[in-house]
Amino acid sequence: MSQQTMKPHEHGEDREGGVCMNRRSFLLAGGATVTVVALGAIPGLTAAQGKPQFALRASYPRQKVGTLSALATGKPVNFTYPYPQVQNMLVKMGVPGGGGVGPGSDVVAFNLICPHQGGPLHGTYKPEHQILGACPLHLTTFDLTRHGMVISGHATESLPQIVLETQGNDILAVGVMGLIYGFSRNVVNPRAA
Amino acid sequence: MAEKDFGSTFAIYAKDHVPLPPRSAEVLTTACDYCTVACGYKVYRWPVGSEGGMRAAENALKTDFPYQGVLRPWVSPSQHNIVRHRGKPHHVVVLPDFETKVVNTNGAHSIRGGTLAQKCYNPENRTSERLLYPMIRVRGTLMPASWELATEVMADISKYILKQYGEHAWGIKMYSYQYFENTYAITKLGMSTIGTPAIAPHDKCSNTNDAAGLDDAGIDSFAASYEDWGMCDVAFMSGVDPYETKTALFTEWIMKGANPGKKLIFVTPHKTAGVAYGVKNGGLWLPIIPGTDTLLHNALARIIIENKWQDQAFLDRWVANRWEVDSGYGRGTRNTGWQWRTTWGTWQSDWPDYQKFILGRDEHRVENAAKITGLRAEDIRRCAEMIAKPLPDGQHPKTSFMLEKGNYWSNNYMNTTSFSALALICGAGNRAGRVISRGGGHQRGMMSAGGGSGWLNPEKYPGRRKKSFNLDRWMIDGKLKFAWVFGTTWFAAMLASQELADAAYRMTRGNPNQISNLDRKAIFEVLKKRVDSGGMIFVDSDIYPVEPIGTQIADIVLPAATWGEEDFTRCNSERRLRLYAKFYDPPGEAKPDWWAVAKFAQKMGFAGYDWKDSNEIFEEAARLGRGGVLNYQPLVVKARAEKQRGHELLRTYGTDGIQTPIRIRDGKLVGTPRLHDPANDWGEIEGQEVHRQWLYAFNTHSGKAVLLKSPWNFPGWIQFYDAIKPRSEKGEIWITNGRVNETWQSGFDDLRKPYLAQRWPYPFIVVHPNDARKRGVEGGDFVQVHNDTVYVQTGEPTGVKDEDLNFNTLLKNGHIKTTEGQFVAVAVVSEEIREGVAMANFNYPSAPANAVCHAVPDPMTNNYRYKLGRGVLTKLGESPYKRSFTSMTLKPRHII
Repeated sequence: MSQQTMKPHEHGEDREGGVCMNRRSFLLAGGATVTVVALGAIPGLTAAQGKPQFALRASYPRQKVGTLSALATGKPVNFTYPYPQVQNMLVKMGVPGGGGVGPGSDVVAFNLICPHQGGPLHGTYKPEHQILGACPLHLTTFDLTRHGMVISGHATESLPQIVLETQGNDILAVGVMGLIYGFSRNVVNPRAA
Repeated sequence: MAEKDFGSTFAIYAKDHVPLPPRSAEVLTTACDYCTVACGYKVYRWPVGSEGGMRAAENALKTDFPYQGVLRPWVSPSQHNIVRHRGKPHHVVVLPDFETKVVNTNGAHSIRGGTLAQKCYNPENRTSERLLYPMIRVRGTLMPASWELATEVMADISKYILKQYGEHAWGIKMYSYQYFENTYAITKLGMSTIGTPAIAPHDKCSNTNDAAGLDDAGIDSFAASYEDWGMCDVAFMSGVDPYETKTALFTEWIMKGANPGKKLIFVTPHKTAGVAYGVKNGGLWLPIIPGTDTLLHNALARIIIENKWQDQAFLDRWVANRWEVDSGYGRGTRNTGWQWRTTWGTWQSDWPDYQKFILGRDEHRVENAAKITGLRAEDIRRCAEMIAKPLPDGQHPKTSFMLEKGNYWSNNYMNTTSFSALALICGAGNRAGRVISRGGGHQRGMMSAGGGSGWLNPEKYPGRRKKSFNLDRWMIDGKLKFAWVFGTTWFAAMLASQELADAAYRMTRGNPNQISNLDRKAIFEVLKKRVDSGGMIFVDSDIYPVEPIGTQIADIVLPAATWGEEDFTRCNSERRLRLYAKFYDPPGEAKPDWWAVAKFAQKMGFAGYDWKDSNEIFEEAARLGRGGVLNYQPLVVKARAEKQRGHELLRTYGTDGIQTPIRIRDGKLVGTPRLHDPANDWGEIEGQEVHRQWLYAFNTHSGKAVLLKSPWNFPGWIQFYDAIKPRSEKGEIWITNGRVNETWQSGFDDLRKPYLAQRWPYPFIVVHPNDARKRGVEGGDFVQVHNDTVYVQTGEPTGVKDEDLNFNTLLKNGHIKTTEGQFVAVAVVSEEIREGVAMANFNYPSAPANAVCHAVPDPMTNNYRYKLGRGVLTKLGESPYKRSFTSMTLKPRHII
């Protein structure tokens, strides 16, 4: 089985100075194995007082989050990535989806915190529709076949998607597409190789 | 194994970094530009080149990042942009105000308001499509011109038209909401100075009532406060899901508020997320057949009366008896615009007569009403119990009644008369948690200068009453020579949209007299020939090129400065007045509409248009608005006494603002949470006050509400309804229209916001699976909707006899033109919609769903029945969105 990556959604360069991830940046981010916690690059991280809850990584790690053979269709499995505090779910949807891996391109992973106001989405997966939600706070729902796009509701971003690759039977998390709720940056330098 | 290719055509905007505002960032307050709720927002602005740190001490949000928690300040990438402030690049972050205790508590916001930052002009993104300078159309192409030349050309031809053809040949089609300063300037020009009757707001063909039945009953359409929706035990919501269209009102006050356990009833054919939430929590969904609400209301009233569930104490105290109904001829003096409706005897009633009406007609029996409304009899019975059946302790449930366009845009008069009567017998209308109110669409930003010239209107009702002026009909009939359009699509927003656009095109681009160079005199000569040969001139003021009026039709296009680019004011749907602060430079030569009006008026030689800034208009308008529910004159008086400007005093009220009408007590400004509430009676008035009894009683001569009868077979309704129902032999279904949460009151910006453009790149039509299957339609297919018989009222119908303005008489007398209409949309196939009804995206300029709806106004009110379209659905093929993973999800909206 060949290694699978995010599909090429070409859309030009980043025009605003922010980070607009495309295939290349995913590959770069996913290919990096640096997990050194960089202190000093970001204001606030080195301050003696008022420490943030946890320090940021230099880049996205490669992390095994499951195996294809162990996944049952419609039954999500939770995992943390790229930090122990950040909860996500891995699911085999049974229908193909954007960024899906595995033989059916149907294995996807998403963050479990609503990017509207931080509501927990745990246990809200609707297997018959491949929908995550509704968020218990304000009822936002997300389409997991379309990169976590808002179906109905109030989040101003898609649900952050965990970028997956496969290595044989192993499923690896290699990056995050979208800013995780409560973060101002997911990693210190998201574009660093 | 090779990866399968499942569509990869569209962009993904997924940033994983956003700059935080530093401690040094300036903070300004504003409110949302979009829906009627108007959530409070804070704008953080700082020069490009620095960012706030992640430590609480190092950012203006005083928050440690990253964190994992709920309901705390967080900046999503869509909440950031880079703008110019005094010519220099600045970061802006636009965040819901987490400190306010009103409207959007707990930082609540919608996807629309949450992306406000993305609407700000930034040449690096799609806001680069903003209009940057005035333009004049030369041989079909818009060419840059100066403000001087554009307004001189407008003045030259306007003077000629006014002299040659009269005031009513010079018209205005305007937003009624885009800030007091602009609406005052526009109406001062049109109504006071030029004195034309040819003015219509963006959402109506004429300057008429929205919910006329509420007005006639004596109930102000915006009488309630949001806290009332929080307090009620039961909310009966007709033609609206506030989750979709009043986000923070729903999430903060209906889902929460003082009584989070309230039960929700929704009357709408579309089961959206709010409806699903209501049903899951013990509420009720009544998926009604479009246009039949009147019968539902009357059937509910019958069950209530048969069971004696009415709130008799309230009826005895607050509902007018026969003599009180007649006092002041129904609602006030005989000279009121609506007086004739209530004195005819068809409608006006009192409690004994209303009971006789409800009990005396067979169609009000629940089984019969169930057939026509398409509802289950047991659901109607359960609804009656929920809204009216006294509790075990004998108390009546605290029921509040909300209506919106699904109600009053299908049967304008009768749905609102029957609704108000139902609500009144349940004891609602003037007390905490028991209110009758519109939910609201746009915000309340109309501050009219008054002085209209309705008497110039050739239309009249039977009897001697003038009708409101139907600007659409006037334009189609070729009577309009000059139209200045402010911030509206006009055609897509009205009915028989394609017919309307064709007429406008015919009289502008279709006329041989086209501007061929930018010489002022040459332009005047050619435009003179245009109007003298049956043509007309359009001027379009907007922020973006608008299809087709700006892009194809207008001779002159003027660039407007808008939200965030000027200090503006207006109220929301609980009459809460706020200052919407300027925080960045408007693009190019864009100017606020009040400035364009003043410039033109000066070219015309009119006095009274020498305002230096928007605050001067705010203060001037206050005096003229002091008799109304949006009265803020006391604020201006107080500001002057304190030697400060009105805008500056209002700025100190921040996102909380103050609810109008404002009064002064002990030298302090006091707002008004709820209208008609006896608690508002302060006795003798003083100083700046104007005595208005609707503050503490109903808005009638007697101060008591009027019960109105609504006979289903009223010919002004039933003839139209019978003519426009879907024809099964043609395979037609109902084509109603509406909007969804993501694109509500924000359509003018949405395609320029990357995320919302990705969510809704093309207009939708929601189709029931059974209707889709029969037509071979699948989700994601392009479908054409076609109605081969669209009715358009033409001519100058004046009513003499009762039946003159009814549909059959209009048809017989040649005042109904038959045309056709179509549009294309992407099918969303979902059980969320009632079978036999499809719901299309309203007011999408390039795919006007209103093209299949009939431009025949309600003869009672001269307002349109927008929701009652019909058509045949045909699959055209697959849209690119069908198999895309990145654009336009097709999933159902009612899964919660």
